Amino acid sequence: MTLTTTTSPALKPRIDWTRPVLWLFAAVLIILILLPLSWLAVFAFTDKNRHPTLANFVTLFSNPDFLDPLLTTAIIATTSALICCIVAAPLSWLVSRTDMPGRQTIRALVTASFVTPPFLGAVAWELLAAPNSGLLNQLYRLFAGEDADALFNIYSMTGIIFVISCYTFPFVFVLVANALDTMPGELEDASAILGGNAWTTARRVTIPLALPALVAGALIAFLQAMTLFGSPAILALPAGFHTMTTKIWSLFQYPPKLELAAAAAVPLLVLTILLLQGQKALLGRRGYSVIGGKYGAPRRVELRGWRWAALGFCLLVLLNPVFLPYLALLNAAFSPNATTLVTPSTATLHNIVFVFTELSSTQLALKNTVILGTATATIGTILALVIAYVTTRKVIAGHRMLGFLATAPVAVPGIVLGVGLFLSYTRPPFVLYGTLWILLLAFLTINLPSAYQQLQAAFATIHPELEEASRILGATRLQALRQITAPLLRTGVIATWCFIFIGVMRELSAAIVLFTSQTKVLSVLIYDLNEGGDLAAIAVLGIAMLVITFAVVLAVNQIPMSGGNAAAKLRNG
Amino acid sequence: MASVELRGLVKRFGSFVAVDAVSLTIDHGQLVCLLGPSGCGKTTTLRLIAGFLEPSDGEIRVGDRVVSSKARTLPPEQRNMSMIFQSYALWPHMTVAENIVYGLRLRKMDRDTIAKKLAAILATTRLEPLAQRYPGELSGGQQQRVALARALIVGPETLLLDEPLSNLDANLREEMRFEIRRLHDEYRYTTVYVTHDQSEAMTTADLIAVMNAGKIDQLGSPEDIYARPESEFVARFIGAANVLKGTARDATHVEFAGAVLAVVGARLTAGQSAAVAIRQHEIQLSTRPPATAHNTLKAIVTRQVYLGMNRDTMVEAADGTTLRVTTPTAIAVEKGREVWLTLPPERCRALSR
Repeated sequence: MTLTTTTSPALKPRIDWTRPVLWLFAAVLIILILLPLSWLAVFAFTDKNRHPTLANFVTLFSNPDFLDPLLTTAIIATTSALICCIVAAPLSWLVSRTDMPGRQTIRALVTASFVTPPFLGAVAWELLAAPNSGLLNQLYRLFAGEDADALFNIYSMTGIIFVISCYTFPFVFVLVANALDTMPGELEDASAILGGNAWTTARRVTIPLALPALVAGALIAFLQAMTLFGSPAILALPAGFHTMTTKIWSLFQYPPKLELAAAAAVPLLVLTILLLQGQKALLGRRGYSVIGGKYGAPRRVELRGWRWAALGFCLLVLLNPVFLPYLALLNAAFSPNATTLVTPSTATLHNIVFVFTELSSTQLALKNTVILGTATATIGTILALVIAYVTTRKVIAGHRMLGFLATAPVAVPGIVLGVGLFLSYTRPPFVLYGTLWILLLAFLTINLPSAYQQLQAAFATIHPELEEASRILGATRLQALRQITAPLLRTGVIATWCFIFIGVMRELSAAIVLFTSQTKVLSVLIYDLNEGGDLAAIAVLGIAMLVITFAVVLAVNQIPMSGGNAAAKLRNG
Repeated sequence: MASVELRGLVKRFGSFVAVDAVSLTIDHGQLVCLLGPSGCGKTTTLRLIAGFLEPSDGEIRVGDRVVSSKARTLPPEQRNMSMIFQSYALWPHMTVAENIVYGLRLRKMDRDTIAKKLAAILATTRLEPLAQRYPGELSGGQQQRVALARALIVGPETLLLDEPLSNLDANLREEMRFEIRRLHDEYRYTTVYVTHDQSEAMTTADLIAVMNAGKIDQLGSPEDIYARPESEFVARFIGAANVLKGTARDATHVEFAGAVLAVVGARLTAGQSAAVAIRQHEIQLSTRPPATAHNTLKAIVTRQVYLGMNRDTMVEAADGTTLRVTTPTAIAVEKGREVWLTLPPERCRALSR
């Protein structure tokens, strides 16, 4: 025994910078969120000379030009949400709770439809189901005769609902599959031991337990469908009708009617807030599905002869958001004519050459998108990290307020935020319109809530005593964060970064009101090309976009950080 | 090397008072247990000493310097303390060795010194073969020893332990109890130990502070606390004593359920209500009236359980008070029978609170 009993040299006092830094973050957050919403409110409730008035709302609720889009939006959102649930519920059950072959592949494919920007999906479906030129309609005419009516018309209410559902159902799928994944197997075993067979157990135990997740998913799907801009703009405008988002956008066209645009954004905002409150109430009661600690893994239902039929069903569903659209895009990229099936003899690289050398805005849009994606992901992750730290560790007074502010943008649809930012930053003291900064602010705000929630969940899995143990041994708060917390959070941080980056790539609804010719991003460029009918170029750009996304996500996952294998070892504590 | 002194320490969370004017002096090298039920403020007190919380009032001194006061709180890293956490708080991304030397690295010690100290502490805690493992690959007892090694290697002035044994199984807990005491005797840190387990406190502490509702109810040696409880709370919490409530006849006699009991302990005032504590095994139970009527009570047996070494008998006194008596296995009395209890005067402790 040679352990010395002398005390170690006392550590030198250091200044704790934490608090001023944290207050700074709070201030940033307030500017980010409250400023645009305040301007939105000011414009909605005033006339051109900024005199208070309710005239904007009177116009809104008496003019059929505004009432029709409101009704259309309601119909689209409701039906899409329903379809999403009907499709996603069986799919997630099959993937999570049965012995269906290829479960992991199906999961990956659903993720692929998640990553696909909805506007790109809409364009792909134009290629497939436009009444005259659509590939599917051409195929149909091969059998039904040259002058048969089109089988599908994507430029219709049904078409829009279909396409929106294709790219919204992953939200429901992820929520329900998660609930089913984490549901303790003992709950089902308890029903089995009392005499319930597999189907009774599923009906009486499994489904009721997953129901809250399903309803929450339906609400999210509803919100997505309601606030989406790209798909309705691409499909509804040619059909000659408007949704709320396209209507708000049209109010920005010359001559701009900013007051009406602001007022039209208010119903979207109010509805979103109400629905989110409803979702919170639902999920709040969900506590019962995660009672207690140690449960065994769930048993899988044996499908026996139905295994392959189940897989067939899943693949059939995924035909719509993944296989068909991507085939159509690939076809268009290599074909001389976007809506002719390519053959080895007609295959051409012309489209690719055109997009990258002749199309003048490609380079700029690519550059802008990558800059904005990287900057937003980096700043957003840091911001979310700090706020999640403050709220989970309750570092400063008012941490609850900070958490609320960080989640508040969830209730602000992209196009509404776009309107608010436009109103805030086209006038002194902050003239940012026309720069990339305003887009950065928009993307940051849009992606903050989910980034914050992801990192907050990651923080919650790290016991505060892990940090305290390092403090008491002599580490400052920042040292503890760097040496203990950061390595343990690595996986969560990287996932969040990628999530934001992908979010920026697919964002169109705020960008569409904020871009100028010098600040075009890929999504806006694709939208512009669609208006010009250049579908082949879109196909090339869309594929390029996905390639960039995957490349960046792969690269980021290679970044070495200390304690890289921490996640695998998070077994104690 | 220093003492730890709490002076009128208060911690409020909103309107809830978690720690209510606690004053306590822990001499250098002493091991003090904060003992109490959950929610009594013992862990909050410990976290105040560690500097994770700022006091609402009062102050904490280590040696002659104030480390916590309402005005200024020294952050934990500047207190030269160590702490063992309930969850052990081992860092899952570091090996056992990396966990242990973390504090030494922060102190910028040179490589050789660190290696030497590491070897020594690994030997003391019998962890040599596990040095390169990750915490997730260790059993509960091994994790506990790593936590101990990590806290001790920095040679802290003060060692804080927050329910360190509550995650271990019964056998291991007993072993670690003596291990902690042995290490304490070897290094003589000033130690504050928080627990809700009275036998843990009894075997490790020099001094026990029984806490209740944010206050220290009684402070004393293990023997003081067990044999001479001052309050009803301490009497019940430590060793589950019977508490009889009667009326004082004079300074040393209490009228209870029709009998007069001679008592020791707190001085009583005639005519006032009085509480008397007596332990289960200190009461003698007989089925026949005893020879002398001093300090005897009549009661009815309501339940009787055979425990192997002895019997646990519940009786009801004339006023309805239920008493528990531990009796030899030979005395088996069926339910409903009348019995006589003898309460030796030197075992009847009048409580001051």
